[in-house]
Amino acid sequence: MRKINRILTLVAVMIVAIAASMAMTSCGGGGLEKAIKKALINGDTTQVTYDSICSIIKNDPKKYAQYLDKNGDINVEALGKYINEIGSKLRPPMSWDISVFSLKNLSLTIYFERSGSMIHYDHTSGGGQLKKAVNDLINFFPTRENVKINIVNDNIYPYNGTVDSFLQDRNIYESTSGTGDASYTDFKLIFEKIFQAQKPGNVSVLVTDMIYSPKNTADVSVEKILNEENSVATAIFKTYKGKSIIVNQLMGDYNGMYYPYNNAPVAYNGQRPFYLIIVGDVATIDRMANDEKYAKFLHPDGVKNTYRFNQVPGNINFKIIPDWKDNVGRFRISRDDQKMLTKCEGDRETGILCFTIAVNFKPLGKDDAFLTNISNYAVQSQTGFQISVRPITSGDINNNNRSYLNGMTHIITARGKFKTKHDELSITINNKFPAWISESSTTSDTNPSAPGFATTTFGLERFLQGIYDAFAPGNATYGKITIKLED
Amino acid sequence: MRDKVVYLIIGIVASVLFWIFRVELYEALYTVNGFSDQMYNTGAYGSVAAITIGTAWGIAAIYYYLINSVKFDRWYHWLAMLGVTCVITPIICYISVSQSLEGFDYSTAEFTFEIYNILFTALTFVIASFSMRWWSSNCRHTPIPQ
Repeated sequence: MRKINRILTLVAVMIVAIAASMAMTSCGGGGLEKAIKKALINGDTTQVTYDSICSIIKNDPKKYAQYLDKNGDINVEALGKYINEIGSKLRPPMSWDISVFSLKNLSLTIYFERSGSMIHYDHTSGGGQLKKAVNDLINFFPTRENVKINIVNDNIYPYNGTVDSFLQDRNIYESTSGTGDASYTDFKLIFEKIFQAQKPGNVSVLVTDMIYSPKNTADVSVEKILNEENSVATAIFKTYKGKSIIVNQLMGDYNGMYYPYNNAPVAYNGQRPFYLIIVGDVATIDRMANDEKYAKFLHPDGVKNTYRFNQVPGNINFKIIPDWKDNVGRFRISRDDQKMLTKCEGDRETGILCFTIAVNFKPLGKDDAFLTNISNYAVQSQTGFQISVRPITSGDINNNNRSYLNGMTHIITARGKFKTKHDELSITINNKFPAWISESSTTSDTNPSAPGFATTTFGLERFLQGIYDAFAPGNATYGKITIKLED
Repeated sequence: MRDKVVYLIIGIVASVLFWIFRVELYEALYTVNGFSDQMYNTGAYGSVAAITIGTAWGIAAIYYYLINSVKFDRWYHWLAMLGVTCVITPIICYISVSQSLEGFDYSTAEFTFEIYNILFTALTFVIASFSMRWWSSNCRHTPIPQ
């Protein structure tokens, strides 16, 4: 009998011991897994956290050999895969793009237009916004040693000085006088040369007034030249499908002779638009758009309007926030599908169901004016949900919602009278040809005192429409968010 | 003898099944948006289930084999031990969950969850008792005579 008692005590003790060890293991797993899980759950996906994870791996290279390459450096691809494997098992599934932390140094090539009409942006009496914008591009590019500068007009010519001398040059057009033929700008040649010269990891920026001024246009009608411009743009950009182009419009002081299309030059003193055209491989621009280091470079100070051509529709990262101040009615986020709401019930009195999602719009590279404008969204549902969009502020974040808001930029609130058994809410972000381009375009630039002269560019719309058509024919979108609902 | 061993095996299997299906069982009883996700993410359900199983089996073992006294073998003595288990376990679990969810503010949900966990604690204690009581020299008739 005593023997049996001992055995049973042993069994009970073993169960307690097993339970205790299970309690210990359920708290975390290995150091690396624990650190990754903690970062994802707490929404702490910063460079500092990434570095601490890397140091865990490097401190125990034998244990974590699969996350190191031959040189002992972090194998970003393998580590990223492991992180997202862990993240996929969390609720809601989480992901962390660590590729931005290992972004290899990019190179920058500036193409500075030196046509007759560009010179007067840098007049000594003006504010020097054009030069400041180019200097900012160089200064906000993380690695200045990888910067090259070219002068463009009828062709592309290397800048004779250094990057530092360019930055310090107070009269850049004076010091580059005699470079090329400033009487016309051959965009076809320039863009083709830029694309041909562009190697992987290179970002090129054309600094230009975007006035299409090819050679020998005497007696050619405006309509004919604009049609040619449109076709030229489509033809060039169709050939380079893998490229993405960001057009940033800025305003600068202009003082000097202005050269209208097919007309005599006129004196003009006032503001004029100019453009920074950023060109790179789609993947390069995507990575830059996700990396805070390049935020000021892609969207420098003074940008009035911006648009990215050839933005491939991507998966929009979003999470339904379970507990939010604006939520009305009841719902439960499905355990199996985090993009599905079950047990949906409208408010008992009003019948209204209101839920909120956190969305990461950062990869779109759009400003708040675009993102908070509901006309840029197509919303479909049986319920007739209406949405509102606003940026996330620091006041929105608390300990409980931190993991849902981490890495997210905007809040979308959907509201409607939920009556059906099943519903599907789809929110599409439309990629329309932007209205500002049409508003900034003119087909007649002969009269500097005409209203709108200061804010419009001759033939801009047709050229950029040509690029748009090359990349995005039909109903282009930036992406779609779909949420299923069940009662 | 064989029947008693079957009871022990059933008890162990039931406890193991409780461990395996802990998330489903706990969430069937109590789900709160946000809190339940973090319980799952931090592995707190695992800690809570393990603590519940461990304390229930541990206190049952203490009662039947360490205390094992004729002066403490009535049904209400056993009930007192069940009461002790149902008090101690949620307290330990609450501390464990609070540590797992450090940085979050779910104190109300944590408290309510522990109230629900008393049900699993009591059930596990009953299972543990009926698994091991048969070999106790003085308390094998507790809580219900054979």
